[in-house]
Amino acid sequence: MQAAQFSRVSRRVRDFSPRLATVAGLIALLASVPLLYVMLRAATADPADWARLLQGRIWYLLGNTLLLVVSVTGGTLLVGVSMAWLTERTDLPGRKMLRWLLALPLAIPAYIGAVIHLVLLRPRGGLLPLWLAERLGHPVTLPSPLGWAGATFILTIFMFPYVYLLSGAAFRTMGASMEEAARTLGRTPWQTLWHVTLPVLRPGLTAGALLVALDVLAEYGTVALLRYETFSTAIFIQLSGRYDRSAAAILSGVLIMLAIIVLWGELHIQGQARFTQTESNWRPAATVRLGRWRVPALLLVLGVVIASLLIPATMLVAWSIQALLNADTAAALFRSGTVGFGNFAWNSLWTALLAAGVTIALSLPVSQLATRHPGAFTRVLSRLCQVGYAVPGVVVALSLLLLVNRWLPFLYSTPFIVVIAYVVRYMPQAVRASEAALKQISPTLEEAAHTLGRGSLLAFVQVTLPLVTPGLLAGAALVFLSALKELPATLLLRPAGFDTLAVRVWVWANDGLYLQAAPAALALVLASALPMSLLLRRERIFK
Amino acid sequence: MTTLQVDQLTKRFAGVERPVVHDISFEVAEGEILALVGPSGCGKTTTLRLIAGLERPDSGVIRLGGRVVASDTIQVPPERRDVGMVFQDHALFPHLSVFDNVAFGLRGLSRSARRARVAELLELVGLRGLAARYPHALSGGERQRVALARALAPQPVVVLMDEPFSSLDADMRLEVREQVRGILKTLHTTAVFVTHDQDEALFMGDRLAVFQHGCLEQIGTPEDVFHASGTRFVAEFMGDSDFLAGETAADGIRTALGTLTRVGALPVGTAVEVALRGDDVDFVPAENGNAVVRERFFRGAFNVYRLALDSGQVVHALKSHTEALPAGTRVRAYISAQHPLAVFPDGQAARLGRCVVCNTEFHHAGPFPMSKM
Repeated sequence: MQAAQFSRVSRRVRDFSPRLATVAGLIALLASVPLLYVMLRAATADPADWARLLQGRIWYLLGNTLLLVVSVTGGTLLVGVSMAWLTERTDLPGRKMLRWLLALPLAIPAYIGAVIHLVLLRPRGGLLPLWLAERLGHPVTLPSPLGWAGATFILTIFMFPYVYLLSGAAFRTMGASMEEAARTLGRTPWQTLWHVTLPVLRPGLTAGALLVALDVLAEYGTVALLRYETFSTAIFIQLSGRYDRSAAAILSGVLIMLAIIVLWGELHIQGQARFTQTESNWRPAATVRLGRWRVPALLLVLGVVIASLLIPATMLVAWSIQALLNADTAAALFRSGTVGFGNFAWNSLWTALLAAGVTIALSLPVSQLATRHPGAFTRVLSRLCQVGYAVPGVVVALSLLLLVNRWLPFLYSTPFIVVIAYVVRYMPQAVRASEAALKQISPTLEEAAHTLGRGSLLAFVQVTLPLVTPGLLAGAALVFLSALKELPATLLLRPAGFDTLAVRVWVWANDGLYLQAAPAALALVLASALPMSLLLRRERIFK
Repeated sequence: MTTLQVDQLTKRFAGVERPVVHDISFEVAEGEILALVGPSGCGKTTTLRLIAGLERPDSGVIRLGGRVVASDTIQVPPERRDVGMVFQDHALFPHLSVFDNVAFGLRGLSRSARRARVAELLELVGLRGLAARYPHALSGGERQRVALARALAPQPVVVLMDEPFSSLDADMRLEVREQVRGILKTLHTTAVFVTHDQDEALFMGDRLAVFQHGCLEQIGTPEDVFHASGTRFVAEFMGDSDFLAGETAADGIRTALGTLTRVGALPVGTAVEVALRGDDVDFVPAENGNAVVRERFFRGAFNVYRLALDSGQVVHALKSHTEALPAGTRVRAYISAQHPLAVFPDGQAARLGRCVVCNTEFHHAGPFPMSKM
């Protein structure tokens, strides 16, 4: 019968491909297992441990962590939005150059920035107080970079570019017409900014702020260095010093709950963040004349650039030169034990590259499914792949340690466990990049390929893939960048003797050998700057 | 010979109560161009996508070149249907040159055969010199023709076009659609195309299928559909009809513009509506007339007048642009049509939301001129 003859064909209709859905489901499961496992371990931990921690420790850590999250998020919003407004909407001199200078601190990991500011400012033995005391002839007290205030300052100046880039793009995209409408309805420019512009930008800014909040929750290096105790540092100590995995699991469980709440908010807002669209009749908004505020505004922007970019960059270069000129440090740098600088760089490079490639490849089935067959099921998959945002590096390390010890012992103390940690941690960035790239491609292109005789796979390979490649590369660059800078998971999971640049910088800096750490830190920053500039060029504000 | 046969096709979308395509049947003969026309959301594009295999019908059968491609048990995927499709946004592959776009569907041919076929098609659509260009470097009209060449290249059984001219500027649209119709006719290609523009449908289609709310209201030649509109909706959609109230009497249909002799058998005393277009109505200035000029709209080659009849109804009349009468002029309006007019039983055909209207009978009135009041 004819029907029987075609039954094989009928299953190939691409209403919804079960094969693709299965692959995507497995990937989503893989991405969310570490989180679920830690939650499970936390829930089933010894009640005595829970009781001990609930008697004080958890509340202290919770207060500390939340305080830092709020202050840094607020700080980045304040700095990021004001910098974006000044460089996008006013006649600030040199704003084209300043746009770049304000984005570049992204290439400097916060913990490296913290090392530099700490060396310069530390209360006893800081370079700046010493130099001032020598000049003035009496001891000088400068604001200390340690503790809550210092951590807020350091994290704000190195994390504000996220908010700055987001709001800069939003200021740019939002054309003149909406603000002009407000003006014709009787609002002054100042009222327009507060009653129209900022409310319109709010969803996007909130999403950016929540991403910063997630980053602060996950931050280990900076807070550890500045002696401010948060969940991340407490878990790290439980894991590395006391080997108390039960307590670590409990603290991780609480931290994840916190992060999940933030992530839930972020995902919720993400959908509505289409606050502005570039229409065909888009015109740039009118430039605000700063008048006598030009000089103070310029000084403000320069202050931010100096603290977040010029000082760290200058110090890194100066110390690197000193370190290389000095025979002792140069020798230590290139031959500490059996391995040297080349090994660290190579370890950093291959683990980050491998992680970037694997992550992007895994993100494709999920994002293809989510963009082509939107629905409740695919949305759940896409969200499961994004839980990595809510899993700080120390928690990824903990869960992988537990999982690998139990099920995959052969992976233990191989560098691949580090790569797996990067993949789990940075899968969300890849999924978002792939989804964004795929959304740009009109479904009619794939349909055209179908009517011209191509099945799903061929249509994807011959039409979709070539078109999304730039977007995928950008996503891979982002993952590479993040993996290169990753510190806590690498520290906890690396096999003995397996050092990356990030690890070496950290170890040397903690030993007070900042001259020796400088070349590695500089290499890290330069290696980050390359994919960074590629990413920044894609940003609307640099076009 | 029938190339495409659509039989009782129905398609529902999740969450939409009414079927988007409801029990639609039609046939397209070899070499024929069928225009699917209707307002947006009427199901015409979904019908096209069902034929292409980009959607799966809930019920109904589609036969392409004698082969069943969709039924309750069969769903041939688009890549095996042997259809060519021109998309509304043209969907040219931006990473491929014009040559590679056109060659994309030519598989299993030798290199030289492919080259020859692409050259032949580019020649046909008048783009021979642009083979090496990329889509972004083409004008709208050129993209349109590349999309057509790409769809035609594999010699499909039928070419499907989804609003192919809607993305073009108005001044270019006329030129391009003449070219496209010429190309299709030269190749004797069977084509189904979708448009919401009645002018375009009348121009392009050998036959028209008028859609409304997922139902096929009427299918026929452009003349048929225009002059003998099967439903009140078709009369309204195809050329902006006014509906003049009337009542059947022993000698014809009495209206405010006189009595029309009628063909057809409606019982005396039935309320009816007569569909009138601007060119069916004329008037002369007359102090003791039956209407007043309310407004005059200048349309270039002609003037459109809005007339308020003494009966309270409003009709429109077309006159040459040389005759300009100011608003307020009293006139005698009369029906000047030299062809039968469509008559609809009052009230029933107005319920266009229901598919009953798909089968409404129509009645012709005539002959002309009718007795003056």
